Amino acid sequence: MLSNYIKIAWKVLLRHPFYTFITLFGISLTLTVLMVLTSFIDHLFGSHYPENKRDRSVYVGTVIQTDSSGTTMSSGPASFDFLVKHAKPLKSAEKVSIFSNFSFSNTYVNGKRIKLNTKYTDAEFWEVMGFQFLEGKPYNETNIKNSDHVAVITDALREQYFDADGGNVVGKNIEIENVNYRVIGVVKGSPPTRLYSYSDVYFPYTAPKSNYENKGLRGRFIAVILTKSKSEIPGVQAEFDNSIARIPDSEIPDRKQYPVLIVKADQYFDHFLNTLARNDTQRVMFYAIVGFVLLMFMGLPAINLVNVNVSRILERASEIGVRKAFGAPAKALLWQFIIENVFITFIGGAFALIFSLLIISMINASGWIAYADLTINVPVFLVSIAVCLLFGFLSGVLPAFRMSKLKIVDALKA
Amino acid sequence: MFSHLFKLIWNKKGAHSLLIIEIWASFMVLFGVLSLIVYNVRNYLKPIGFEYENVWNMDLANNQDTVEVSSKLNRALQRVKAYPEVESVSRMSSNTPFSANQIGNSVTYNKVTVGADFYYTDSEFSRTMDLPMLKGRWYREGDRVAKFVPIVINKAMEAKLFQDEAAIGKVIKVDDKTSFKVIGVVDKFKAKGEFMTDGPALFQLIAQDDGWNSNLLIKTKPGTDANFEAKLVRDMAVMLPGWGIEISYLKESLKNRHNLTLVPVLIFLIVSGFLLTNVALGLFGILNLNISKRKGEIGLRRAMGATEGRVTTQFLGEIWVLATFSMILGLLFAVQFPLMNVFDLDREVYIIAIFAAILVIYLIVTLCAWFPSKQAARIHPAVALHEE
Repeated sequence: MLSNYIKIAWKVLLRHPFYTFITLFGISLTLTVLMVLTSFIDHLFGSHYPENKRDRSVYVGTVIQTDSSGTTMSSGPASFDFLVKHAKPLKSAEKVSIFSNFSFSNTYVNGKRIKLNTKYTDAEFWEVMGFQFLEGKPYNETNIKNSDHVAVITDALREQYFDADGGNVVGKNIEIENVNYRVIGVVKGSPPTRLYSYSDVYFPYTAPKSNYENKGLRGRFIAVILTKSKSEIPGVQAEFDNSIARIPDSEIPDRKQYPVLIVKADQYFDHFLNTLARNDTQRVMFYAIVGFVLLMFMGLPAINLVNVNVSRILERASEIGVRKAFGAPAKALLWQFIIENVFITFIGGAFALIFSLLIISMINASGWIAYADLTINVPVFLVSIAVCLLFGFLSGVLPAFRMSKLKIVDALKA
Repeated sequence: MFSHLFKLIWNKKGAHSLLIIEIWASFMVLFGVLSLIVYNVRNYLKPIGFEYENVWNMDLANNQDTVEVSSKLNRALQRVKAYPEVESVSRMSSNTPFSANQIGNSVTYNKVTVGADFYYTDSEFSRTMDLPMLKGRWYREGDRVAKFVPIVINKAMEAKLFQDEAAIGKVIKVDDKTSFKVIGVVDKFKAKGEFMTDGPALFQLIAQDDGWNSNLLIKTKPGTDANFEAKLVRDMAVMLPGWGIEISYLKESLKNRHNLTLVPVLIFLIVSGFLLTNVALGLFGILNLNISKRKGEIGLRRAMGATEGRVTTQFLGEIWVLATFSMILGLLFAVQFPLMNVFDLDREVYIIAIFAAILVIYLIVTLCAWFPSKQAARIHPAVALHEE
């Protein structure tokens, strides 16, 4: 039965190449846009190199000081001191790493200027992140204790600063802002879209100019807390909240002006969302806007598809009339059209997959995002298949329903 | 004619409901994308107001060094000024042109409160950035001894704060201790680049003992290269041990700012372009089918003496009525934006976007209906009636 329906569908497709083109064009384009978008979102928020353990990490990114009504506030990253006191000692966590936001610098070699992003980290950083070392090794507690002037650089910087064919650069010196650092390791770089692992040079936090000695709440440091498993995240968050709640007033400057202190250990996406939307109403607004935009962008092709299908199927009224006259029940007709549409949608989906792979490899190759590693991975592909099915159903049900209600006489007359 | 067409459409509203929804949704998407584009284009058309071609921004961070920061900064300034490659130098707050930083504040005069971007700069600033004066003059070192803090504002600020009065010489009381005195007006200062709105701005003289505002804007002579930059950084690092020194070219920062604006616009444009192509193709297919189904009706009309032109106009008219109907629905939503001042944008932006969207929709439906209706009109009455 199924193969029969598919055969009919195939013949119908060939009969009207123009409508087939319109339908396939719509389906493939919509799905392509959707797949590329999903893979981009996955690139931004999923667990990928070097933040492979993102799914069981929580981030302490911002310290918010505000008054009770939330009208005036002051916020920013935390100080090293604050994070050492409140994030480092968490008992339920597996590992805690503290590192600075990236900052900018320049270095000069042979009259050429290289723009740099720099980052100060602790030794745990290399265990929390999954960097791949091409040469050498990361700095350890001893380097940090001795305030060694050592640095880990990326392969891109190695190529720019040292000669590309120079081979091993571990042990050589790199001069940044008049301080000489010994290169201790070379890692494969991280894309700039991974805000927390991205940098060109990594220094131990005890290296010059890191400002880790600053006291107070706010500074330029961030903590990543790695939990033992995904299910332990709420426990770690609760312990952290507890630790924040017990901070004495004397430790907080401006307590009079800003009596409320908000520091949260959030998962990556929530953490990102919280910087956009600070309270529940704003969060609802955010989801509403995203939902509305998605609805518009998805709904339009869907309506279009239904429209094209309605006219396409109405054209086949005489065929339906004959089948009805020979006793086909409405349900059988309904199924026939749904299967037909799902079949077309899958063909469109296959095209979309090819287009998406093309576009994604183009984005990866263009250098638009350095080290971009957009992929169509299994979840992305499954989402696209689910959307395919949904589209097939949506665009099949309504016309099929209309058809099945058609009277035999009217159908045959047409 | 029009009411007749309207009746024709209304009678088949059930069959047309999906078409109406489709055109309505296209209109809404177009309205959104066009608002974004109109907003940016309108901003882009206004000049940026200053020169940035050879200007570098030196960002100094005192880090752990907290002793005599202001005098060290002033010494660094004098030192940079002494290089032959440097035309002029000026200190500025961290919200340098094309940076991501912003300092916002509000001032009140005669019960009118205006929020403005605050820039803390010194007496050399207008020379370094080639910022021409519209009225009055830029503040000088000598103004420090005056009773009031000298400020320069831009035209947008003057218009908002003082309305029809002249701004020069006006004194604004900020708190019990400080008062501003307006001594000059500049035309425009779009510090976030071409795509920024020309909003109110206020320039205030940096205090002598200020250690906070540690950016130096350096206007170099043409042809200065990275070798001088490396030398400058090395000399500064010797002079200010332990300080962070970062130089960026304003020209490059501007490019970054542009990308931040253009990339989202481009993505929206591509996505909505695909959507509209999709819709146009679909519309074309549906109209093609619908019109070919009405061969009998066309044949009859032609037999009764209607010209080809009149038949074409009828079909075009039908789709126009349909489009108008959908857009009236869309307008109910769209007019809320200028009425409620959503996102604090200029009303004109939305109004231009609405008209542009209407125009584009009419264009698309006309294009989609043109070919099928032309073809239908060419049908020979005898053939059409015979088929019937």
